[in-house]
Amino acid sequence: MLMLTTRRLLAVLFLLGLAACSKSAPPAPSSVSSPSGTSAAASAPASALGDLTPFSVIAADVAARVDKGDLASAKTRIKDLEIAWDTAEAGLKPRAPADWHRLDASIDRALSALRADTPRQADCRDALIVLLGTFHTLQGK
Amino acid sequence: MQTVAEADARALLNKVPAVTLSFWIIKILSTTVGETGADFLAVNAGWGQSLTCVAMGALLLVALSAQLRARCYTPWTYWLSVVLVSVVGTQITDLLTDGLGVSLYVSTAAFAMVLAGIFFVWYRIERTLSIAAVTTRRRELFYWAAILCTFALGTAAGDLATEALRLGFVLGVFVFGALIGLAWLAWRLRCHAVLTFWIAYILTRPFGAALGDWLTQARDYGGLGMGPMWTSVLFLSVIVLLVGMAQRRAPIPPLAQAADAAD
Repeated sequence: MLMLTTRRLLAVLFLLGLAACSKSAPPAPSSVSSPSGTSAAASAPASALGDLTPFSVIAADVAARVDKGDLASAKTRIKDLEIAWDTAEAGLKPRAPADWHRLDASIDRALSALRADTPRQADCRDALIVLLGTFHTLQGK
Repeated sequence: MQTVAEADARALLNKVPAVTLSFWIIKILSTTVGETGADFLAVNAGWGQSLTCVAMGALLLVALSAQLRARCYTPWTYWLSVVLVSVVGTQITDLLTDGLGVSLYVSTAAFAMVLAGIFFVWYRIERTLSIAAVTTRRRELFYWAAILCTFALGTAAGDLATEALRLGFVLGVFVFGALIGLAWLAWRLRCHAVLTFWIAYILTRPFGAALGDWLTQARDYGGLGMGPMWTSVLFLSVIVLLVGMAQRRAPIPPLAQAADAAD
């Protein structure tokens, strides 16, 4: 019985491997959503965290909406940043933990400013100036 | 660790599964599923960390009370509890680190001491730490307290390795995998079976996380680019398959067996 179980498990592991391989086979379409799909062409100086443009682009968009006074759409848009940032944590953080935490704190501040019960434009703008400034500093490294 | 005959004799009484390869695979994969699930609720579904934490804690209490009330080992209740313990254990560490700003050095050391304390009290009262003899309510409570603590400790230690040593997930899979291999070797060489089990149990937390990250993360970060959803679907399928197999082999509940015997 023990042998049988082991054999079944090996089959499962084999399937798992297959799935992983077949999933990673097509190389082309990953550039649409993957964070540094544009990095090959971009000549921006890389920070210790690598290319941050996919995130800073969203932050700039959020800032533009805040400037227009459209806090509701800025709040919707910043969720894209939150999700992208959260998803990339395991890949980014080990590269430069201190930088990662710095940026993470700035993103958190912007998130809470926009998600306040009654968001104030001045608070949101302050938070986004800090956030864009953090991106700028890290990109300049 | 124990002979097959011993395991069979105890199977009806023991409330926790025998430690097989299948046990370890489910345990490792459940880490990723728990973490992605909690992340999904907190970020994508927009529940936020606090609400997710409360909801998962409540779910854990429900699952654990079902597990405690069960009269024998019931695979799905047991593994649901493990997945939820994994989520809550991770959230406890995250809450301490991100919410309260506790240093990972402090939390790692603290969880290690709490775990040692649980083992100390468990041993003082029960004279054994064996997971092959979780046969009373009190031992079961010790068992789950220890498991919750291993997840919190494993999360803190794994995060510490990321932060202090800049250990990424690719290297992490190999480092934690090698450490688990060492624990296995020590067990084969007849080192203390209970000790090697718990060491391996702690290590499977960061190993599982690194493995999950490896599949999940974009290729630019060195991952396989499967994304959190497909990785979770894959892992969850394997878990459901293995737990389903275990459920089919599960011992007949005492009452039903008594009825069988009466026939």
